[in-house]
Amino acid sequence: MKTASRVSSITRRKLLKASAASAALAAFPAPLIAQTKPFAGVTLHGASFQHRFFTLLQKYIPEFEDKTGMKVDLQLSALPVYNQQANLELSSGGSAYDFVNVTFTLATRWIAAGLLANLDEFTGDANLTPAEWNPKDFVDGAQVPYRDAKGATYGYSWEGGAMLMGLSRMDLMEKKGLKIPKTFAELQQVCAEINGTDGVSGLVSWFLHNWNLPPYIQGFGGNIFRNPPSDPMPALNTPEAIQGVEFYANLLKSAPKGVLTYTEDQARQAMLTGRANIFIHSSAWVTPILLSDESKVKETSRVVRSPAGPVHDYPASNSQGLGIPKNAKNQKAAWEFIKWALSPEISMKLVKEHGHSSICRRSIITSEDYRKLNTVNGQDLGALYLEVLELPGKGENYMAYRTSKEFPIVGDVLNKAFEQVATGQLPAKDAMNAAQDQAIAALRRAGTKL
Amino acid sequence: MELTESGIDLERRRFIAFALTPSLIVLFAVAVLPAIYLIVTSLTPFQLTTPGSATDFSEPLRNYGLLPGDPRFVNSLAVQAKLSVASVFFQVLLGMLLALLLNVPSRFVEFARTFFLIPMVLPPIVVAVIWKLIYAPDISPLYYAAQALHLTLPALTSSVDFALTSIVIADTWEWTPFTFLMVLAALQTIPDEYSEAALVDGASKLQIFWYVTLPFITPILVISGMFRLIDSVKAFPLIFLLTGGGPGTITEVTNYYAYLLAFDTNEIGYSSAVTVVMLLLVCGISLGLVWMGRRKEALA
Repeated sequence: MKTASRVSSITRRKLLKASAASAALAAFPAPLIAQTKPFAGVTLHGASFQHRFFTLLQKYIPEFEDKTGMKVDLQLSALPVYNQQANLELSSGGSAYDFVNVTFTLATRWIAAGLLANLDEFTGDANLTPAEWNPKDFVDGAQVPYRDAKGATYGYSWEGGAMLMGLSRMDLMEKKGLKIPKTFAELQQVCAEINGTDGVSGLVSWFLHNWNLPPYIQGFGGNIFRNPPSDPMPALNTPEAIQGVEFYANLLKSAPKGVLTYTEDQARQAMLTGRANIFIHSSAWVTPILLSDESKVKETSRVVRSPAGPVHDYPASNSQGLGIPKNAKNQKAAWEFIKWALSPEISMKLVKEHGHSSICRRSIITSEDYRKLNTVNGQDLGALYLEVLELPGKGENYMAYRTSKEFPIVGDVLNKAFEQVATGQLPAKDAMNAAQDQAIAALRRAGTKL
Repeated sequence: MELTESGIDLERRRFIAFALTPSLIVLFAVAVLPAIYLIVTSLTPFQLTTPGSATDFSEPLRNYGLLPGDPRFVNSLAVQAKLSVASVFFQVLLGMLLALLLNVPSRFVEFARTFFLIPMVLPPIVVAVIWKLIYAPDISPLYYAAQALHLTLPALTSSVDFALTSIVIADTWEWTPFTFLMVLAALQTIPDEYSEAALVDGASKLQIFWYVTLPFITPILVISGMFRLIDSVKAFPLIFLLTGGGPGTITEVTNYYAYLLAFDTNEIGYSSAVTVVMLLLVCGISLGLVWMGRRKEALA
């Protein structure tokens, strides 16, 4: 009897439990419950080049994994190695990666070759992208390389580089009665006048001439190609291009010995120690002159807009983006990761907790927190950064040369020609005429129809 | 059953074949297969961003046809020749002089010999970094010393006149120990009687060197020169880190040009053709030197 009663009560209890569970299920529909760990069991494979952004992001990835249930396998390699791996993987139609870094210089060719997924399909679906993620928040200039001719988006930018001018010895300039140069002519004059004073060089640069030189060529009204990306005919021997090359070669006469083989680090050290006065490069390299603990010139430094040329004011800018390969196996999971990595929350965390300032979300760059952290010696570095980053998105996309698929070949030829001019091996006209012929021959060899 | 002489021969051949097979398989996998793949790729217009280009054999000899008209390729061969000849010449000469100087029985000299071997055992990239520091005008002790002596040195790695010389100097520093070691070993095999007899006959030290020592060490000088000549095409880390092939194309050797083509401009097919030509040239030089060696042996 006792036993029978126990059996009976257990049955009742079970029934009660089952009823409670049914009620709970009715109150919270099954899909919602499943969404608590919507990607449980998925391993997401992604790749990029080594960059501080990803090193910082990796600290937060466990939170993302907890939230979504997926595992993130992020492979980071050196930039040239990554570019090779990704090129090979994407062009062979592989599906090893679910998300990739869309390298700035490779963006156009990957998009044109149809190697990436159209992200508008994700942002356009309210179930996949909440309104607050706001794709329009990304600075337009940083997004230009990740759009095709019809305006479809294939990547969202995670890092922006905006060319600015850093000056380390305003004290020396003031002593000499020199003002911050705003034009090419003033830049030439200031560099020449400072050079040699107190052992300080007028300016410093570094060996990647195909990044440093084009703003001068464009400043005089020239370009690398006739009309990129639609007309990739090289334009290296136009009078404007020759003028730009001559100007930059002359400018380097005020630089330290051996500047042609300087690395970025060498140039930065020359600035940090006050051995060189001017450095024109991406904000991420120039601003540490002011912000770095190592800096010996914190008090005498300024970061300002690069000088304008007589025809154009085209400071270089670039960005790196995240995208999804066309053949990725886990596209929705990859989008979830991109959405999270580039969310306003994570972006703000990177700014506040790590001082990572090269964010591409306008709402972050213009926020009060960002402004507070990036205002030094009374200068709003964020405003300068944003202004330059935006420029290619307004009017002519003057950075189109850089993302043309023909640029690596022509850029390499340009580097060699510039070095010939800077070292006096050839006059600018001869070097650039030869470079034009070589660039055309090399492009034809690579199958480009000109 | 008794084994005949030809039976023993057959058994021995079988054993040798059996013992060598694993090594041959490994050698084939790690050396021959990549070389075959390189040759196959050189027959295509393979570019990483052009799908299908890796299997396009429609114009198999196009890359090779373009090479003679490519001024950078032709220039790179000339640069390679200059670099190889100069560096091998100095490495053999200095290696021989050092070996002659240090071929004396003394504990200090034994220590000094070990010291001289250090550059050769350093990883090539470390050697390149050391020389990068030596050649960097703003931090180099070389430039500080020159300044103290009121001398003005140009920027060696970006100077038209000195860039290639700076590579030759670094390469010579790295590899002179190799020739030194080879010549020293040869010197220690020369019986003392020859030089003692020459000394008794009134020969000067120079005459002893010329008529006794040099004939003994000549084969070693040739062999070490040959090894270094073949190896000199591998000066890549020095060029990559010190000059980047510049200024212009002054230090752009063939393997650096092939690297730029493959990794900067993505022309894998064309780069493979450049590499195949380089491979053939190295093989040609090696075979030529082996043939010369055999001919000399036959004449002797």
